[in-house]
Amino acid sequence: MFEDLAFWVSYITNGKHLTWYASFQFTIYAALLGGALAVIFGLTGATLKNSRFAVLRLIGTIYSSIVRGVPDVLFFLFFPLAFEQAVEWFVATQVCTPESIAAQTSPWPPCREANWFLGTTEYLLLASVSLGLVYGAFATNVIHGAMRAVPAGQLEAARAYGMSASQVLWRVHIRQMWVYALPGLSNVWMLIVKATSLLSLLQIADIVLWADRLGAPNFLPTVGLVHDDWRWRYYLVLFLFYILVTWLSERAFEAIMRRAGRGILSEVPA
Amino acid sequence: MVSMKQAEPVTAGASPVVELRDIHKSFGALEVLKGISFTAREGQVVSLIGSSGSGKSTLLRCINMLEVPDRGDVLIDGEAVALSGDGPARRIGDENQIRRIRSELGMVFQSFNLWAHMTVLGNVMEAPLVVQKRDRAEVEAEARAMLDKVGIGSKADAYPAQLSGGQQQRAAIARALCINPRVMLFDEPTSALDPELEVEVLRVIKLLADEGRTMILVTHDMDFARSVSDRVIFLHQGLIEEEGTPDEVFGATKSARLKQFLNAANHA
Ligand SMILES: Nc1ncnc2c1ncn2[C@@H]1O[C@H](COP(=O)(O)OP(=O)(O)O)[C@@H](O)[C@H]1O
Ligand SMILES: [Mg+2]
Repeated sequence: MFEDLAFWVSYITNGKHLTWYASFQFTIYAALLGGALAVIFGLTGATLKNSRFAVLRLIGTIYSSIVRGVPDVLFFLFFPLAFEQAVEWFVATQVCTPESIAAQTSPWPPCREANWFLGTTEYLLLASVSLGLVYGAFATNVIHGAMRAVPAGQLEAARAYGMSASQVLWRVHIRQMWVYALPGLSNVWMLIVKATSLLSLLQIADIVLWADRLGAPNFLPTVGLVHDDWRWRYYLVLFLFYILVTWLSERAFEAIMRRAGRGILSEVPA
Repeated sequence: MVSMKQAEPVTAGASPVVELRDIHKSFGALEVLKGISFTAREGQVVSLIGSSGSGKSTLLRCINMLEVPDRGDVLIDGEAVALSGDGPARRIGDENQIRRIRSELGMVFQSFNLWAHMTVLGNVMEAPLVVQKRDRAEVEAEARAMLDKVGIGSKADAYPAQLSGGQQQRAAIARALCINPRVMLFDEPTSALDPELEVEVLRVIKLLADEGRTMILVTHDMDFARSVSDRVIFLHQGLIEEEGTPDEVFGATKSARLKQFLNAANHA
């Protein structure tokens, strides 16, 4: 019994399992960075939609309506590849010589010097930007609606007291907008969290990929068959992880809402 | 009835603080102001009266350019507010100038418009700190003094939504006072209040009038206008129909329309 326990402890702390545990950080980084970018793109998109200039309004509207309809899986595949090749194309125009182009055997990139090798960090950044772009389109809609919910009289008062346009925007408009945007943004955040399960599409060895590998029937020369197909057990761990993240997110949003809603949400008259 | 105003009547020689010259304003096809001129001098209280929709708020909002007049000029302390363009396309000409001028005009709105996410003290300190860029300790001392003055010193740390309407409007008056305004602009400050809360706000405004502050007041309350004003202006269909001292306007009414309006107001 004790020997069994010792075996399983050493099994779940072996190198591959430790790598799996470490890969949870990729998921967390991608969610946090993707979420922050989605808010930034959302603020930008909402500002464009509110612009005085028709061209900017059009850009904001096109972004929020078109990108919302693009499946995240597709965008995940499209954006990093398109970005990588665009960079390689640009670098090629700078560094390739006729000789290096002649020496290149594969169809892409134009010459070997222009090749851009993407490691996990680069893919993680591109994945986060993809998440930010896709879900920023949802955030644009949420924030745009929330901006309109801020009482106009308070913005007018800010102007009447001599605040500049950017002071009105940041000190009153955006500050109060959060209260109306947070319920919608918490939905967007949960979508982003769920979409992090797509990281393996970008050859990132993420939690899903490792659960797949570790759950497959395992045979060690020293002990024989350790376990047969255990994938559902490993997937169950991922379920629990995502449930934990959901629970933590809800607590965090409640706390932010309490802070942002101070004075605005249901104050008891004194 | 004699005027109840206690301060010395302000002489016509005092320097002009707000001067409007031939102000026109239309909203689409609706011509709301059709050429209005008047001057509020240092220490004067000027009341604007007139039926609902006669353009009183619009005129008041032209003073600080919340509405840009299509035609005509606004001068604050003799300085003309820069405007560019013509007619409905007319815009504020100089953002820095208008911000500086606005930071000296204390506006009090019908619906208070306190910033909901700030405490009462935060509301009062906001413009002095971020617009006038004054020293925080000095501003806080002054803000607390202003809140005491309007009688809500104990509510400094409450949020606007926790106050009664009358308390909110007094907080809004403290906010206007704390910028050390050249002139106070009131747009029907008691219209959103229950009658029993009106009194406490009117008392504060009366106090400010007696201190000799320059004020322009849009009001429905004829008794109050009579007791507090140096000049009363009656707007009708976008023009000044009658103006004068309270005794002239209320005691020796000339215009038939004003008589009609005052009769209706008395029976309201
Ligand atoms: N921003 C605006 N857009 C269109 N019409 C307006 C606007 N502001 C005021 N008006 C119209 O102008 C007229 C005068 O309004 P207002 O100045 O508020 O009158 P008062 O304050 O005397 O009741 C009203 O008919 C009102 O509907
Ligand atoms: Mg009005």
